[in-house]
Amino acid sequence: MSLWVDKYRPTSLAKLDYHKEQANQLKNLVQCGDFPHLLVYGPSGAGKKTRIMCLLRELYGAGVEKLRIEHQSITTPSKKKLEINTIASNYHLEVNPSDAGNSDRVVIQELIKTVAQSQQIQSSAQREFKVVLLTEVDRLTKDAQHALRRTMEKYMATCRLILCCNSTSKVIAPIRSRCLAVRVPLPSVEEVCSVLSGVCRKEGLLLPPELAKQIAEKSGRNLRKALLMCEACRVQQYPFSPDQDIPETDWEVYLRETANAIVSQQSPQRLLEVRARLYELLTHCISPEVIMKGLVTELLSNCDGHLKAEVAQMAAYYEHRLQLGNKAIYHLEAFVAKFMAIYKKFMEDGLGNFMF
Amino acid sequence: MMSKLSLGGKQSSGKINNWVEPSFGELLGGVSRSLKKGPLSGESKTAEKKSRKRKVDPYVSDNQITVSSEANNPDQDEPWVDIHAPQSQAELAVHKKKVEEVESWLRVHLDKSKKGGAILLLTGPSGCGKTATVQVLAKELGFQVQEWSNPSTTSQYKTEDLFTQSFDPDSRFNRFHGSSQTGLFQEFLLRANKYSRLRMSGETWTEDRKIILIEEFPNQFYRQPGCLHDILRQFIKCGRCPLVLIVSDSLSGDKNSRLLFKDVLQELGIHNISFNPVAPTSMMKVLSRIVTIEAVKSSGRISVPDKAALDLLCSGSSGDIRSAINSLQFSSFTDNSLERRLWASKKGKSSSAKPAVKAKGRSKSSKSKDMQDESPAIGGKDASLFLFRALGKILYCKRESYEGTQAPKLPPHLTDHQRDRLLVDPELVIERSHMSGEFFNLYLHQNYPDFFSDVEDIAQASEYLSDADFLTAEWSSRSTMLEYGSSVATRGLMHSNSSRAQANSQSTAGFKPLHKPHWLHINKTYRENYQTAQSLFLSFCLTPVSLLTEMVPYLAKLTNPMRNQAQIAFIQNFGHLSQKRVTGRLRLEALGDKDPGILDADSENEDSCAAQSLDPGTTQANATTESNLPNSQDPSGELSASQPQPTSTEALLDEEDLLIEEYDSD
Repeated sequence: MSLWVDKYRPTSLAKLDYHKEQANQLKNLVQCGDFPHLLVYGPSGAGKKTRIMCLLRELYGAGVEKLRIEHQSITTPSKKKLEINTIASNYHLEVNPSDAGNSDRVVIQELIKTVAQSQQIQSSAQREFKVVLLTEVDRLTKDAQHALRRTMEKYMATCRLILCCNSTSKVIAPIRSRCLAVRVPLPSVEEVCSVLSGVCRKEGLLLPPELAKQIAEKSGRNLRKALLMCEACRVQQYPFSPDQDIPETDWEVYLRETANAIVSQQSPQRLLEVRARLYELLTHCISPEVIMKGLVTELLSNCDGHLKAEVAQMAAYYEHRLQLGNKAIYHLEAFVAKFMAIYKKFMEDGLGNFMF
Repeated sequence: MMSKLSLGGKQSSGKINNWVEPSFGELLGGVSRSLKKGPLSGESKTAEKKSRKRKVDPYVSDNQITVSSEANNPDQDEPWVDIHAPQSQAELAVHKKKVEEVESWLRVHLDKSKKGGAILLLTGPSGCGKTATVQVLAKELGFQVQEWSNPSTTSQYKTEDLFTQSFDPDSRFNRFHGSSQTGLFQEFLLRANKYSRLRMSGETWTEDRKIILIEEFPNQFYRQPGCLHDILRQFIKCGRCPLVLIVSDSLSGDKNSRLLFKDVLQELGIHNISFNPVAPTSMMKVLSRIVTIEAVKSSGRISVPDKAALDLLCSGSSGDIRSAINSLQFSSFTDNSLERRLWASKKGKSSSAKPAVKAKGRSKSSKSKDMQDESPAIGGKDASLFLFRALGKILYCKRESYEGTQAPKLPPHLTDHQRDRLLVDPELVIERSHMSGEFFNLYLHQNYPDFFSDVEDIAQASEYLSDADFLTAEWSSRSTMLEYGSSVATRGLMHSNSSRAQANSQSTAGFKPLHKPHWLHINKTYRENYQTAQSLFLSFCLTPVSLLTEMVPYLAKLTNPMRNQAQIAFIQNFGHLSQKRVTGRLRLEALGDKDPGILDADSENEDSCAAQSLDPGTTQANATTESNLPNSQDPSGELSASQPQPTSTEALLDEEDLLIEEYDSD
């Protein structure tokens, strides 16, 4: 039994549930024979990866679905050994170069070189090129992106790149201009609902439309999240009731409680407790950026309109430091402390006004 | 000079010869029936030069030696450290309870009925009387001390090992010429063991008990501690007499010999007693005693330093009694004119030319400023602070009020920022803590919220910490910015604590335990888990963020039998964030007052600090929770109790200790 997300993932461009027009265009693109480098971008859970895999299948047939996981070790010029995991079929290679941290440039160059140097076995029956799929391109260092630019040109004959990222803002312009950009927007609530009910039908379950709509909204139209939620609902209770609780992840609940703790009391002691909670979240691999974002959302919903602008500005300030600084906890904590100070002052002022 | 020395010290022509004289007198004259091997020529020379422990060795010798050597050489040039070696517990400058602790341990383990060897580990800064304590106790309890010293060459071992020769002329030790120090060490331990057994069965001696004393370790052990551990394990099994290891604390991390024992302390049941620097009052007592005796003896030939000079010596030696006595002797010998000049010139330039030596003492109490600036020309030691105290200095930021009218006033709109004058120089504190600013900041960050009472203040303080991190973010400029970063953090913290703005508002300080920072551990776990997750769930082909914030948490909620064992374990651990363990889940790791701060590795490399936090010492120390704080490592409460009633002049010195106590005892 695999997850619904994997089980009902569409495998061909024709079977995609939404953005059908785009799917058609991609199909045409493949049928033209040649095919430029692609830059696929869009928010998380929109179906970028699904679309890319459909495209590859369209290109090479069912062979791309035979995946194998490989551990490659690459030695940098400074004799540092890097271990990197790749997922590959006979026709393509998928790698997340940001795993390599600062040495991502070497990884990109080496991997693409090895792929590009070996020709397809039967170039007559197959395409003349292989595909390298790079995920999280926006997290690549500038250095690596420039290296990527040169590599793209050099191996154009034997290798196509598909770059995948959330936002193009961090991708340098030369790369953007060398690729055909494909944006995959989030599905609308209705589209999510139809996918959900479709999946449930195939599972032989009856999903009330109200619940489907709730899930779609709660997931923020992130289809992966919506499907996981739906499956969690199924585990929690079946038959579904239209108004049942949608299970949230523990860390979201935990984060909300943390925000509540901040709002309910402002004292150095409470700050220490909050710090312990932040550490707890961090040890559960919730990245500081996610924590920051979640905290801000929760805190904003808790505070008065007058404060919102100020809090948002503060959040932006510390988020910026978070990105530049070394130790995330300093900045997270500074944000929390600052919020506490502002909030306390606001409450005391409000109380004062109320009394006189 | 070497040849002169090795000829033997009988000709008491030069000063230097005289300094090593007593040892030779003992050996050549055969006055002593003590079996302790005296230092031989070459070794003693180097030993004196490096000012090793050996100086204290003659402590073991009974009165006879001192008497005899005094009789032979009425010369005044003999080191006072030797002449005035403590003869009884009362004369020891060490804290009474410490001595008792050592004594009771020795009493228990000298008991022959006990099987197996026992090991005692004495730690403490140099010159705090560790060896002297053992030697004095040896005399009082009536046992002998057999000591290991590193042979400088292997062949020397033979000659050094006089005690074996004297009892066993056909020593088979010749055989071991070629063997390594390690081998010799092991052999020494085994023989020392065996030897005692033989003697027991043989003649009856009044002093049939003995201990083995080890103060220096073959260098090999620093590289391969396991080697030493094996030997010690063996000793525990078949040892016949107690083994006393003496290790000096050092602040430079790499050669820290304490680390040698970190791993096996538990396993071998090694009892650790840690000594404190000699308290100024005790030191004053000893110095005064010596001065009085010497003044009488010399009948006016030496200049007797006055009280103030003694104070200065005391504070300059930072608790090292050996160096204090040495400098006392030295300052007394120089004839008056020379001495005056030395002191005077020092006074002149101490304020400007030698800022590092300035304010040497551990003092910063109500002593007047100019008093602090005086630093002894002779025998001053570089002051250093244990991390615990350094943190305390910052967090408790002591201030003193401006006197009278000279207080500068801020304009009305800035009155919030009005602060009394700081008694601490934050940069100096960081420098003395032997730690990079970055790690110091981590320690501050871990501990600062306890010291704040107002949210506004703490928000400001946390912003300063954030600033400090931000300053050092750029790696290319980091080495320069580190100092600024720590300055910003410390000064920011001190300034923003408005409840401590005035000198008189600080009386309510109270003791607060300090803890080691969590961040390094957390950060490491974060990265480890991150990687584990990625390698375990590679087949999902997800970006790490969506994997960890969506997939894994929901997997935890689903019943999915397909995963393998490792994945199941991971999901169970990390998908669930138990709502009950809200706070206090993280074990707080208390910071002892002696902790050298295990983290002071190079701060540039994040990886290395992650590795540092892996240090078995840390994890082991993890187990010690707050409740363990007042263990033998934390004897500060006793410290003040031990001190004799301060006389009026000593009151000033005593105040320093009050300062320690304030954040040291509960």
